[in-house]
Amino acid sequence: MNEPASPGRDRLDAELERIWGNPRGWRALSVVNHSVLGLRFMGTALVFFLIGGILAMLMRTQLAMPDQRLLDAEFYNQAFTMHGTVMMFLFAVPMLEGLAVYLIPKMIGARDLVFPRLSAFGYWCYLFGGLILISSLFLGLAPNTGWFMYTPLSSTVHTPGSNSDFWLLGVTFIEISAVSTAIELVVSILRSRTAGMSLDRMPLFAWYILGMSLMIVAGFPPLILGSILLELERAAGLPFFDVARGGDPVLWQHLFWLFGHPEVYIIFLPAAGIVSTLIPVFAQRPIVGYRWVVLSIITTGFLSFSLWVHHMFTIGIPHLAQAFFSAASMLVAIPTAIQVFAWLATLWTGKPVLRLPMLWLIGFLVVFVAGGLTGVMLALVPFNWQVHDTHFVVAHMHYVLVGGMFFPLVAGLYYWLPHVSGRMPSEQLGRWGFWLTFIGFNLTFLIMHWTGLLGMPRRVYTYEAGLGWDLPNLVSSIGGFVMAIGIATVLLDIALHFRFGRVALRNPWHADSLEWATGTPPRAYNFASQPDCTTRHPLWEHPDLPDGIAEGKHWLANAGHGRRETLGTDPVSGSVREIMRLPGNSWLPLVIALGLAVMFIALLARSYPIAALAALASVALMLRWSWVNGLHPALYDESGAFPAGALPLHPHTFDGPGLWGMGVTLLANASLFLSLLFGWFYLWTVAPLWQAPATSPLPATTLLIAALPLTAATLWIRRIVTRLRNGTAAHLQVQLWGIAVLGVAYIAVLVQVLIAAPLSPTRTAHDAVIAVFLGYLLLHAALACVLAALQALRVRRGYVGHHAPYETVIVEKWWSYTLLTFWLTYGCVVLFPAGWGGS
Amino acid sequence: MFIVAALVLLAVVGLWVRALYRPPPDHDETTQRRIGRRWIIGGGIIVPGISIVILLAFGIPLGHRMLPLPVPGEAPLKIEVTALQWRWDIRYPDHGIVSTNRLVIPAGRTIDFHVGSADVIHSFWIPRLGGKIDAIPGRINVLRLRADQPGQYRGQCAEFCGAGHAHMVLAVEALDAAAFDTWVEKQTP
Amino acid sequence: MLAPSHPLQLALGLIVWSVWFVALYGGLSIGCALAPPDADLGARTWLNGLLAALTAMTAAWLVWQLRRCWRAARSRTDDAPNRRFITILSAGIYAVAAVSTLVIGIPVLGLPPCP
Repeated sequence: MNEPASPGRDRLDAELERIWGNPRGWRALSVVNHSVLGLRFMGTALVFFLIGGILAMLMRTQLAMPDQRLLDAEFYNQAFTMHGTVMMFLFAVPMLEGLAVYLIPKMIGARDLVFPRLSAFGYWCYLFGGLILISSLFLGLAPNTGWFMYTPLSSTVHTPGSNSDFWLLGVTFIEISAVSTAIELVVSILRSRTAGMSLDRMPLFAWYILGMSLMIVAGFPPLILGSILLELERAAGLPFFDVARGGDPVLWQHLFWLFGHPEVYIIFLPAAGIVSTLIPVFAQRPIVGYRWVVLSIITTGFLSFSLWVHHMFTIGIPHLAQAFFSAASMLVAIPTAIQVFAWLATLWTGKPVLRLPMLWLIGFLVVFVAGGLTGVMLALVPFNWQVHDTHFVVAHMHYVLVGGMFFPLVAGLYYWLPHVSGRMPSEQLGRWGFWLTFIGFNLTFLIMHWTGLLGMPRRVYTYEAGLGWDLPNLVSSIGGFVMAIGIATVLLDIALHFRFGRVALRNPWHADSLEWATGTPPRAYNFASQPDCTTRHPLWEHPDLPDGIAEGKHWLANAGHGRRETLGTDPVSGSVREIMRLPGNSWLPLVIALGLAVMFIALLARSYPIAALAALASVALMLRWSWVNGLHPALYDESGAFPAGALPLHPHTFDGPGLWGMGVTLLANASLFLSLLFGWFYLWTVAPLWQAPATSPLPATTLLIAALPLTAATLWIRRIVTRLRNGTAAHLQVQLWGIAVLGVAYIAVLVQVLIAAPLSPTRTAHDAVIAVFLGYLLLHAALACVLAALQALRVRRGYVGHHAPYETVIVEKWWSYTLLTFWLTYGCVVLFPAGWGGS
Repeated sequence: MFIVAALVLLAVVGLWVRALYRPPPDHDETTQRRIGRRWIIGGGIIVPGISIVILLAFGIPLGHRMLPLPVPGEAPLKIEVTALQWRWDIRYPDHGIVSTNRLVIPAGRTIDFHVGSADVIHSFWIPRLGGKIDAIPGRINVLRLRADQPGQYRGQCAEFCGAGHAHMVLAVEALDAAAFDTWVEKQTP
Repeated sequence: MLAPSHPLQLALGLIVWSVWFVALYGGLSIGCALAPPDADLGARTWLNGLLAALTAMTAAWLVWQLRRCWRAARSRTDDAPNRRFITILSAGIYAVAAVSTLVIGIPVLGLPPCP
């Protein structure tokens, strides 16, 4: 924008633009660039936010007066269920992930995320899942059992319509998006930081996003499992949550809150990351206590997984167990307090300037600290027994979520607007927007604490006059509308700024981090050359860095090969390891997401043949996706192979981004499997009418026979990897075929077990869980075989071999995981009941 | 509790506002570092740490006293409550009385409510008498309550249970001991 | 044994803490399901004893690791800054894990296990 031009620089820009540039028109749907997708995520999330907001306004109108008949109970129930679901799953998480997708590569000095097609896939899954969910509102079939979907209210007996199915399938679709984006963010942050950006030089925002993403990876699978189980119960009659047949509705609550409480911190962490990024910039000094803040992030990430039971204090669990969760719930306040005081100390010792984003941060502080304090009160068991499920809790969680997420988010939006548009936001209209939102919010929700203490339960569509609830409800409703006007003002301000905003100078806020070293608005490749990072505050210590980057004075300034490249670096020291070749634009993410959408809609309509067809088609296309990888000509050219002394391309290494991607994926997978094990043991010990036969219905010996080929195949592929590391790859293709055949033998025995075993999964929860275990094993085995066979084909094409061992190492991990889950299942499902002696 | 919370909120916000508006200080690197550490350790660890210890030391025993443990002296009155869409079925096992949506209890006497559900999850709650307990199919949960004063109270389902949730109300009447006995006699044929 | 500056140290303390937490809650639930101790005994039951011993052992291991990381951070000041960063941070993580273990475990000493 205000960069001086030079001929060399123009040529480099033109070359990079040819490789990275985003097509226009209908081809824009094939774009995989992170900047575009980040903005699409945020734009879509904004639309869903408005829908959620309209639902909230409807509810506040209904509750403004006692005995109103504006909405009937049925619609009100759909409204509050969808309000919660939309705000959590369609607004908060995708909005923050979108922000991270847009910012992270720029902040860590990379050109794109490491799995660009996955970003696009994540977006399309989110969009289609969201549309499916929202369509239910217009069909009058929206979920109506509360956003936490407690069974048995949400099960077939009490909700015979497809309301619950919309929730279970739609939300699962969206979670695919959340998890895949999280995996991509983790690997990008760990493996693609620019040269020299060691862990201790990483911007705090990247630490926060790393924490958030790992929490999503570990925290979403319990709910995915829960949704699968509940959908199986609704669609196929497997009774996981039905007391009479040995299930337990409380299992759903455990699975839901195992996800649900971390979710609050998943939303809070990136928002706190915005605060930790903005405060030092506006205080004009580095953050105080960088290490303390990182310590808080890691601590929050772990502690927040130990609080889930505090949503269930009234279900009658031992008081001692309640004491554990009560103590843990209070402890988690400490890392948050550390951050609040680190921010305070930064302001205290800095020279703060009060710009518009700072105003929203003050709003954040007031609202969020208030919400945190009521949270500590709620962690106190006797107080919880009193106000649980009342409007007090509604008020508390809005203080935490709106205060902890929405206020910092708006601060961040204002702060990064110039980056996207190249223009500055106004200060005047923005202040009006802030004060209206802030006053409206407090009017609504401060009063609501009192309504709750007066005994008004949540989720009632109306109430009688004369209970003392009339006035506070009216005030809350008025406040709600003031807040809505405030948010409208903010949106208007943002919309107007694209047209009327002052053109932004480079690095307009005088920030320290690398995202401001790109142009504003940025090019698709972010950096013409990737900078060396020698400090935590690159732009404060080297204000001329952007010029050097644009002139191609740093890494990867050569684009003659015509492929997309970014640096691969060591996760700890940030020293350069390899060059990652990234795939270009592709239609596959959109098409596969469409295939999955067809599958989910077919599941909703209960037309299972179509669902199966769509699933198979999607899987086939995913295999096609995986084909364009490594040494595929689209990414690779002969001339690029091992130029003497230069960096290797990632397919030539053993430890490329794909391996890290597989590692994080298996982490998510393991979280799902552990949740299943938890469900098994939970039902075994707690379910009131658990029915287990005296001996396991699974034949112990036949399963051992099944284990033979599986174990042999896994050991074999591990041996191949060892030999590849030693540089030998004799008969690689034949060996991989052999492994695939062994896998097929394993599947054959397993299928035989499934058919022959006296299982009646619709009769008892015991058999239903075993059926799920077998299904899990079969799916993993099938995928393992396909991957091995595909590897064999790629060896034939010359894409894989001793010169390119990258992919075989990844496939080996899948086999090892398959083997591990087999033996764990064997131990827990076959051996454990024998030791227990039946019951 | 609310006053303490309000004071904490005022203190934190006050400190932030002061940090924003006071004239920029001119400390050297070491002083800044010391100030920073003092804020983080003092405000982030020590103060909340002490508050948590106090809260737990006070809260856990209090919660413990509310548990339906065996007590010396007069045994608590046992009342069975079955929640279903959308009404409350009340049973007095000692007297063989049953009623629907109407609960009569003796004031000044401890009562153990044995709460179960016939369909979905509900929650039994009489706000002015104390805490709530969930009614979950397949289980019986026990809640101990006591009305100190005779009078009319209002009970309501606190866990969302479907279309009739808002109207699942329980009329509660606490009578003094003599009046309760008369009521029991009138009910039993 | 993992070197004090190994990046896994950043998570290990709290991973051990998580395993302890699962064992504590799971052990309590299974103990109460299989052989609930008499409610009259108060907190002086075999189950409380077992859980308290588990807590003490976990906390002791965490404190030992904390000491190890802390001493490594003190003595090896010539390490690369990013290694030293990990060592100091890991010491912090172990400290947090140890304190959390003790605070969450204390109720075991005073409350009966099953009601």
